[in-house]
Amino acid sequence: MMKIIIILQLAFFIAAAPLLNGLITKIKNNLRLRKGQSIFQPYYNLAKLFAKGEVVSETASWIFKVAPWVVFSATLSAALLIPVFIFASPAHRLGDFLALIFIFALARFFLALAALDTGSSFGGMGSSREMFISGLAEPALCLVIFSLSLQFGSTDISAFSGMHRVSVSSVVAALALFLVTLAETSRIPVDNQETHLELTMAHEAMVLEYSGPSLALLEWSAHIKQMIFFFLIAQIVFPISLPFLGSLVQTSVWVICYLARIMVIAVIVALVEVSVAKMRLFRVADFLGFAFVLGVIASVCAILGV
Amino acid sequence: MDIPTVIARIRNNFPEFSELASAQNYADELNIKVSPQDFKHTCLALHKILPSPVMMLFAQDERAGEGIFRINSVFVDFKNKEWVMVSMDIPPENPCFDSLAKSIYSASLFEREIWEMFGVEPKGHPDLRRLRLHDEVWPKGNYPLRKDFQKVEPGDLSDYKFSRVEGEGIFEVPVGPVHAGIIGPGHFRFSVAGEPIISLETRLGFSHRGVEKIFEGKSCLEAVRISECVSGDASFAHSLAFTQAAEKIFGIQIPAAAAYSRAIFLELERMYNHVNDLGGIALDAGFSFPAAYASVIKEVILQLNARLSGSRYLRKINAIGGISIGLDETKKQMLLSSLKELKRDFKELVKILYSSVSFMDRIDTTGVLRKKTAEDLGVTGLVARASGIPTDLRKYFPGVYKEAKFRMAIQESGDVLARLRVRIFEFEESCRLIEEFSGKLIKGEEIKVNAELKGGSALGYTEGWRGPVLYWLKTDTRGLVTRCKIVDPSFLNWQGLSYAVLGNIIPDFPLCNKSFDLSYSGNDL
Repeated sequence: MMKIIIILQLAFFIAAAPLLNGLITKIKNNLRLRKGQSIFQPYYNLAKLFAKGEVVSETASWIFKVAPWVVFSATLSAALLIPVFIFASPAHRLGDFLALIFIFALARFFLALAALDTGSSFGGMGSSREMFISGLAEPALCLVIFSLSLQFGSTDISAFSGMHRVSVSSVVAALALFLVTLAETSRIPVDNQETHLELTMAHEAMVLEYSGPSLALLEWSAHIKQMIFFFLIAQIVFPISLPFLGSLVQTSVWVICYLARIMVIAVIVALVEVSVAKMRLFRVADFLGFAFVLGVIASVCAILGV
Repeated sequence: MDIPTVIARIRNNFPEFSELASAQNYADELNIKVSPQDFKHTCLALHKILPSPVMMLFAQDERAGEGIFRINSVFVDFKNKEWVMVSMDIPPENPCFDSLAKSIYSASLFEREIWEMFGVEPKGHPDLRRLRLHDEVWPKGNYPLRKDFQKVEPGDLSDYKFSRVEGEGIFEVPVGPVHAGIIGPGHFRFSVAGEPIISLETRLGFSHRGVEKIFEGKSCLEAVRISECVSGDASFAHSLAFTQAAEKIFGIQIPAAAAYSRAIFLELERMYNHVNDLGGIALDAGFSFPAAYASVIKEVILQLNARLSGSRYLRKINAIGGISIGLDETKKQMLLSSLKELKRDFKELVKILYSSVSFMDRIDTTGVLRKKTAEDLGVTGLVARASGIPTDLRKYFPGVYKEAKFRMAIQESGDVLARLRVRIFEFEESCRLIEEFSGKLIKGEEIKVNAELKGGSALGYTEGWRGPVLYWLKTDTRGLVTRCKIVDPSFLNWQGLSYAVLGNIIPDFPLCNKSFDLSYSGNDL
């Protein structure tokens, strides 16, 4: 049974993650008075990239070639750590919420190394910025987890899936997690996915040297990572205690609920991206500092039991 | 200023000033011809008393007729609404002159240009690297603007040396000439300590097409079309400056209707570019909603241009003697009604920009160009006005702008915000000006044809949206161009950018760059 769940969940993340990105792009474009590309565009992009050849810098070592696979598989294993179809994460024996952070850190570490590997100045800039940003995002993320584990008595994500109540603590934690998500998914105001300006990029600068299938893997990983974060937020602020498996009605209600709550987050992210300017690089410290403070407040609330 | 006053004032600053070889007044130009020994000090004296940066400094190859190279230096006298040109003749056997660059910084680039194009050496110039004829591909000893230049002769090639900043933790970041966006080619070499920029060296010239050479030997009518292609987003300003120079030579007084129509088109060009830049600044700050909004406004103006003149980018309007496309009553009504909508939309755009805390925080104090730096570099136009320098040809050489009571935009802080504010003010002012001018459009002649073609030289100038566009034109007796010197405001302003970004962090460079929005093709010629 668990095997089926694992396969189902992996397939779900791999298949649906690009769609979520396409959806956000579509909403953003519509908000900007534009028709916008199709929501399936990310799939076309991936298909295009997989069909293409690859150019690898002569100075690049094996790290450059391995990194996309490390990032992709790390992201996929992270996807198994969160509960979606059942009230437990399919790979809960693998680790808890903290493991999730470390798995993401592993992916980031390899990507930063690979960006340095080619010797391009943009890669170096991207790596240093990404490390700067993630160094600030991680503590905030840790505090979010602490506040949740204080509430539910475990760092295992399964512990708070299927919970019924929404407390002050979890709302504040979700807000902090939302800010961290903007940073982790390289969105405005921290980074800008859409920009063509090499000098302003953080995440995009790291993958600038990649092409073809490797680039596709990295983009796909980014989509999946984004979906993981969205699911976590959804889990905290809009908990559903409805099992996926059951009657047809029950399953369809489950699907609609899930879709609805992911849609809400997608709309909020799109609104933020359209209505706010990207901040100066060093202001990101203030932004993520704020997320950290929210994490502290969430923890205090959790201790106070509100 | 009349000639004796000028001489007296020059002599005050430069007692050894000898007899004038010749001096003459022509329209709003005062030409002073001096001996090569006096040239440098005359320029220094004028630079000080007017005060004016070197607006133009260029050479002419007159070896065929007079057996000399001529160097001309143009200054602007805002007080007396006059252009002062100092000339000297250099023997071709030993083509060199004393460099002004160490005393007047704004002369520096012009002298490098003279050296690479004519092989006339500015003695004592600290940096004689070529600007446009890149050493890697253009052999030494080929000077294309000399009249006897036929084709490139083989010769030595060498590498370009960038100035280097060395020290612990200093990195070089080379960017370009190929960029990710659809912009012109330019190479930027940053020296950074972490994120802050210690030094920026800009290397341009990749879109050099030999424009000044192409002009030579063309009839003025044909050359108007070439001038429209010098810098695509300032087509009208360039063709206007060119036609004005030609009309001055031929002694043509253009009809009043044409003068108003030209002013209207010039302001339309300013409007579409300014709103484009507002959108560009917003986009480079990652603020995409107003960027999209601005692109809609720009498109409306471009379509208006097309309906008024048949060209979205205002080409094929200017002609020697006036304009080839008249603005009749229906077009006038269309213009006025579109303007009303544009004003409303623009107000909305400005409101969105100003009311966004994140955007204002981003552009405030970013990319400051201090007034002193701007003055020393000879920065002109919009960028100079944002740094507190009152300079606008529309104010000092008003023409039809006089009766419209033109108001000049000025800001003190010199940052991206100041340049944004200048643009906003100028857009609104342009709307007002067009309304004024269109009220004055009367039915009448739009063009004077059958002008008498003759030889002569004159300066044409206009305040384009970036700043003053200057054309110095010389024709032979058949009315063919023998020398056309073009100065686009970008030429001097590119240096301003190198100074404005110092101390800013690398991710803010695109924002600073967009707030200058300089032309590659106008600079590279």
